[in-house]
Amino acid sequence: MSRKVRIAQLTCGSEYSGVQKEIYEAAEAVGAEMFFPDIALADVERAVKTFGLDVKSADLKLMIARGMALVEGKVEADGVFIGTCFRCAEAAIVRNELRRYIPENSKLPVVSYSFTERTTSGTLLTRMEALTTIARRRALLAREEQTGITMGVDSGSSTTKAVVMKDNQIVGTGWHPTTEVIKSAESAIADALAMAGLTREDIQAIGTTGYGRFLIGKHLGADLIQEELTVNSKGAVYLAGHQRGSATVIDIGGMDNKAISVIDGIPGTFTMGGICAGASGRFLEMTAKRLGVDITELGPLAMKGMGKNVSMNSYCIVFGTQSLVNALAAGSSREDVAAAACHSVAEQVFEQQLQEVDIKEPVIMVGGTSLIEGLVYAMGQLLQTEIVVPPYSQYIGAVGSALLASGFVQGE
Amino acid sequence: MMAEYTPDYVGTVTKYVFVESPSMTPGELALRAYEASEGVLIKETCFGLQVTGEPESVDRLIEEIRAFDPTHIFIKDRGFPPGDPRRCRANLGGARPGYLGHEREFRILRYITHGLEELDRRGEEAEVPETAPVSEKKPVFDIKRLQEIIETEEP
Amino acid sequence: MAKVFIYPATSLILSDLVARFGHKPLGAALGIRERIQTAGVDSPPLQITPEEPKRGLKYAAVEVPSGVRGRMAIYGPLIEEAEAAVIVTDADLAFGCMGCARTDELILFSLRQKGMPILELKYPTTEEEGVQFVAAIKKFLAGLPNGGEA
Repeated sequence: MSRKVRIAQLTCGSEYSGVQKEIYEAAEAVGAEMFFPDIALADVERAVKTFGLDVKSADLKLMIARGMALVEGKVEADGVFIGTCFRCAEAAIVRNELRRYIPENSKLPVVSYSFTERTTSGTLLTRMEALTTIARRRALLAREEQTGITMGVDSGSSTTKAVVMKDNQIVGTGWHPTTEVIKSAESAIADALAMAGLTREDIQAIGTTGYGRFLIGKHLGADLIQEELTVNSKGAVYLAGHQRGSATVIDIGGMDNKAISVIDGIPGTFTMGGICAGASGRFLEMTAKRLGVDITELGPLAMKGMGKNVSMNSYCIVFGTQSLVNALAAGSSREDVAAAACHSVAEQVFEQQLQEVDIKEPVIMVGGTSLIEGLVYAMGQLLQTEIVVPPYSQYIGAVGSALLASGFVQGE
Repeated sequence: MMAEYTPDYVGTVTKYVFVESPSMTPGELALRAYEASEGVLIKETCFGLQVTGEPESVDRLIEEIRAFDPTHIFIKDRGFPPGDPRRCRANLGGARPGYLGHEREFRILRYITHGLEELDRRGEEAEVPETAPVSEKKPVFDIKRLQEIIETEEP
Repeated sequence: MAKVFIYPATSLILSDLVARFGHKPLGAALGIRERIQTAGVDSPPLQITPEEPKRGLKYAAVEVPSGVRGRMAIYGPLIEEAEAAVIVTDADLAFGCMGCARTDELILFSLRQKGMPILELKYPTTEEEGVQFVAAIKKFLAGLPNGGEA
């Protein structure tokens, strides 16, 4: 294995929340190591003055000073992990400002997280993996064109997608609900190959992503097994034809949501969230079921309704469903309820996650939920911008994987 | 993963000994402390010592160490045994937060030293008013302090 | 000998002066030492496990951040044990165990609530203030019910 990726830790409260060990474990699992930028007391005093954020907690001052030492190049790192206690307002301000300040003033990738005593290494793993990928695989991530014949498989929590690409074109796609992880992948792959008119032997390189990436990757003997943050960013800007410059990628998934601020196809800052299912694709699935329509019909239905006519609290999937039932019982139209559900999910992602990354246009929505036009519309309203939904957006992870996997094609 | 934790040095206490003296270096302090150690573990550091052992033995040694230079030696409890990898600068990449706190107090140790010396000299007269007044005067540079600085200047 | 809580609980100066004048300083190191010397689930670096913030619920409600509750799990028992306290009110650069301002506020409040003898003062910034600082602490400690050698 190559040298360990060094991740600078800027945190307040992790040791006292009992989660420092989880941070260490997550880093170790992806071949990285955490370290604390070394500074002196005078640096802290200077940093507080220069940065201009006069917080009271000394450990937050320390965070600011460490962040400045990284930006000023006094301390070297490959990536930065910023973490503070969930529900601490003072710390949230510092976390937020550092998350903005570091990428604006350096090339360091940053991930931030607010933890509780329940945070586990598993929760942090994908984030750490993305950090190390960005640090370790810059050359791979710089790829802008697909070459040869490659396949990407995205094993998500709700659906499994497969894509076959040839000479920078998508020639085959496959899609199956995720039931048994390997079986679902095999079905999606078979469909994609059939559509492409190719066989497994024709495939020169394979990439996997999504929750089931390790299992599928091992099963297929994949060349690249990669978390979905970097893969989806790559796929999104590739499909949107916006590989250079800044962009924001939003992926509302079945289990969690990703908001990624991308620069030249590489994630700068990103958040992954979804403590409450009310802000997920799953809620929209439930809404569709309750309204008696297929999920593919929910979007058009929502476009005909007015979300404002129905008040919906979907901060929890249970309460969200309850307001949905109440609204229908009170005589609201199915169109209005569908629109309200879309608005509610968009609003929650907006409030909980998009505040955590700097929104830079174009805003690209990807993943299965990007096909629900009511949701895309609601997000556009909230962000006051035209949202870009690229072709094949539901296959984003698979496309990103196939694109990146071409770095492993023989002769490349 | 729930790994078991088996502690070392159970039942011991560790104390930091800081020396901020014009007439005694941490090295000299360590030499004299070793002579009086009687089985207490002594680890020399850049600021003084760490001593580890049974509480009674550590207390006894601390009393002796204090006597070397009472107004320039300062002592504090430590939670970790000496050289613990969890607090080691080399492993953490940087100083543990507590180190910066020590840095903060190090700056004012000379006032404490002065206070202790003056209290010895003034005796009962040094009693403070009920509300300790805040001095607004600029400190006058003390000739004795200058002498100390000159004497401690490395050749 | 009285048990005297020191604030900042990581203070070298207060720990030294309280012990020097014949009392037992109660500071962060005691709480950390207890954890470092107790067998259990491995949780580096401080052996504060995710159970500690839950124990901290005794001192702060569930909506209080985990770091505050975890710290209170260390300080709460020490505050309960304390018979007096010496507080430096301008200890704005005390890190780590003292690095959270919200915890620090709660510690001060809890100390003041106890109705025990408390001395509050500022760090000296001149030699004369140094004299007053040491004298005030010495006098306070000598006046504690449990005596002390000073």
